[in-house]
Amino acid sequence: MTMRETPYLELAHLTITYPGRKLPTVANASLTISVGETVLLLGASGSGKSTLALTLNGLIPHALGSITAGCVRVDGLETQTTPIADLTQRVGIVFQDPEAQFVTLKVEDEILFGLENLCVPPEQMDARVTAALTQVGMADYRHRPVDRLSGGQKQRVALAALLAMDPQVLIFDEPTANLDPVGTEDVFALIAAHKAQHNHTIILIEHKLDALMHLVDRVVVLGEQGVILADGPPRSVFFHHADALATHGIWMPQVCLLAQQLATRGVTLQPFPVTLDEAEHVLGGGEQGSGVGGQGSGVEGQRAGGSVREPRRWRPDPRPLALRPLAVEVRNLTFSYGPTPVLNDVSLQVPHGDFLAIVGANGAGKTTLAQHLMGILTPPRHTVLINEHDVSQVAARELARQIGYVFQNPEHQFITDSVFDEVAYGLSVQAIPVHEVAIRATTMLERFGLARYAKANPFTLSHGEKRRLSVATMLAVGQHILILDEPTFGQDQRNADAMMALLQALHREGHTIIIITHDMALVAEHATTVAVMNHGRLLFHGATHDAFAQPDLLSQARLKLPPLAQLAVRLGWHGVLTMEDAIHQCGARPLGVTYR
Amino acid sequence: MQTFYIKRDAPLQRLNPLSKVLATLPVLVFVALTTEPWTPLAFIGLIVVTILGLGRIPLGRFLRVALPLMLLMVGFLLIYPFVVREELVRNSPLLFELGPLRVYQAGAIYGLATGLRVYALVLLSLIFSFTTDASDFIRALVQQWRLPYKIGYGAMAAFRFVPMLQSELRVIQAAHRVRGVAGGGGVRGASTQARRYAVPLLATAIRQAERTALAMDGRAFGAYETRTSYRHFCFHSRDYLFVGGFWLASLLIIAGLWQARLLGPLIWLQQL
Repeated sequence: MTMRETPYLELAHLTITYPGRKLPTVANASLTISVGETVLLLGASGSGKSTLALTLNGLIPHALGSITAGCVRVDGLETQTTPIADLTQRVGIVFQDPEAQFVTLKVEDEILFGLENLCVPPEQMDARVTAALTQVGMADYRHRPVDRLSGGQKQRVALAALLAMDPQVLIFDEPTANLDPVGTEDVFALIAAHKAQHNHTIILIEHKLDALMHLVDRVVVLGEQGVILADGPPRSVFFHHADALATHGIWMPQVCLLAQQLATRGVTLQPFPVTLDEAEHVLGGGEQGSGVGGQGSGVEGQRAGGSVREPRRWRPDPRPLALRPLAVEVRNLTFSYGPTPVLNDVSLQVPHGDFLAIVGANGAGKTTLAQHLMGILTPPRHTVLINEHDVSQVAARELARQIGYVFQNPEHQFITDSVFDEVAYGLSVQAIPVHEVAIRATTMLERFGLARYAKANPFTLSHGEKRRLSVATMLAVGQHILILDEPTFGQDQRNADAMMALLQALHREGHTIIIITHDMALVAEHATTVAVMNHGRLLFHGATHDAFAQPDLLSQARLKLPPLAQLAVRLGWHGVLTMEDAIHQCGARPLGVTYR
Repeated sequence: MQTFYIKRDAPLQRLNPLSKVLATLPVLVFVALTTEPWTPLAFIGLIVVTILGLGRIPLGRFLRVALPLMLLMVGFLLIYPFVVREELVRNSPLLFELGPLRVYQAGAIYGLATGLRVYALVLLSLIFSFTTDASDFIRALVQQWRLPYKIGYGAMAAFRFVPMLQSELRVIQAAHRVRGVAGGGGVRGASTQARRYAVPLLATAIRQAERTALAMDGRAFGAYETRTSYRHFCFHSRDYLFVGGFWLASLLIIAGLWQARLLGPLIWLQQL
């Protein structure tokens, strides 16, 4: 499967240090990659994936950081002594943020930028621009302004800008992190089409894995400081190193997770599936689970209290959701910036204790709706009610006592110089006595595992800790409704799991949780109800299962089924949406384990 | 990037951006020095004809920008009569009296002249901004007037930052409001507020700038002393024609005003 010919990229005992850091970001890493390989680079946050990418096209050490030991060779050239112009013609990187990687305002200018830097004669440029745009299917967009393109189209243009420079190696560094489901699919299709037609060496850094695995020849897993934990064909890496991946909090394909979960219950899938196709094949042939061998005897002893878990959504309020008082009610809300309505006659009722996911493509109006709930945008009278009070009539401070809003970037919400003060701030704003503030803030920090950072500046925390802190600040006053914008954005599997476990715990305590997300697997696993939005309208509001059972609804809202649900559809399994459902379906008994 | 640029297939849009600078610069200096209302008024006429005729800017789009700017002129007209120097209005007839406030005819005329002058200067700059793509202007500066390309393209990338930082600031303001941060009262409140906004805003700006710089370097920006250009900027005969024509029209206007004895003394001549 792999093509180990002459190495095109070669890292030898590489150590990289950024200025101002004591420890090297990458220490003594060695790796070779040959022409035509498609390599998936995995690792937890801070494992040095992006650093390695920057090293391969010479940005390290030419633009930042320094190589303190070892060396990097690209096409036989030592990067430290080769001019960056020669390296960028061999290795190109598509970055995560489509906004930040553009320099000019028009598609054509963006492609020309690199060519002009390389001093390509002007008479050759036209043909190269046309060729590059044609390769990514954007030839008709040549004269468009870049800021009018969708996220997926922007990434296509970013790739075309690299292709014009004719590199042998293409690196995609989380190219879909900022995109909605349709944009993500667009980028994956682009990579697939490209791989089919050209002999580029492709390095992928990504964590939405299931849709990509059929392209990958080889998986390289990085541990701390770029230590290589595993390297090999996907099947062997995910089969043999599943535990190491889990301990390091590294994302795995859902299909592999399923197979691994089944294995811990004594159900072995042969061969171990990596792609949806393989999973369909191994699980689908004939009777349910033909490839399933052995039965789960003795499995239960492996984990404490391995009893069958309660139905997966435990509700504290014995009344069904429909009979409970409403936490949030939206009545015929319409809102527009300029002539086009961003929200068009939206009505929504969220009972207390609900776990609601608001989903939809970019520009569907999700965030605008949420901002009306918080009074960030002031709704007209009698259109938005929180706890049965009209938001337009409630003082901002009173509203902040009832409802918390966690922004996508936690840094935006920090207003003091220490972690303790962050939590205490909301309490003191609410005129709570000083001694009580101290007690409540300390309790809150302990609960969120942040007590030891009490005196640290919030900006110095890790990404996952910042997120936890921003949730803590939003619950400190005892808010019962919590809105979160992309709660797991940019986090590794371990931190994402911790965040979702925390939200589930809050939900069980009776909090009303509303999340806004593009991550359909997250919705499937955790949300009780879903509000599907498209072009400012609410297309659907109801049980998560019902939403995912309507393919027309999903395609109209430009959404995708999560990987396991796709697998279930292919296999004709009904009502299977989550990891737990899938395990049930495969006949193994669930243990009290949390997934994802 | 938000500019007034309106893309059209019209003579002004086809011109080299630099020729528009060359054509308007002397007029800008001259109008800035005038002291009576007639010269700016006449030039406002010339400018409107140029923008609508040669730039083919739709009247509605033009008015949407030009009318709000008129407030500037009205502002001068209202304030100037009250702040004008005593000796300038001494021999002028009194127009009206509002308690202690006295408005003299000369004061009102000075206000009108200053308002019109400022308005003419603003409209003059619209000849350029309605019809010029900012990135073309930078390219022409780099190619013809030897602006170092690293500075030029740095500026172009920075243009992209303005809307990003604006929306970022809006998000941060919202994020703080959600925390229950009340609007800062007084100077101290405002400075605390500014400091709170500054930290996350700077953090974002630096991160974004770093990413953009990497993306630029990753495409060989600055690899060589020079770079080639797909679009070649130079002066064509139409550019000479426009610059010459605009200057000639301006001279004719000045001559006409002189002939009609409407042209007052220029600012520095008055000072001497």
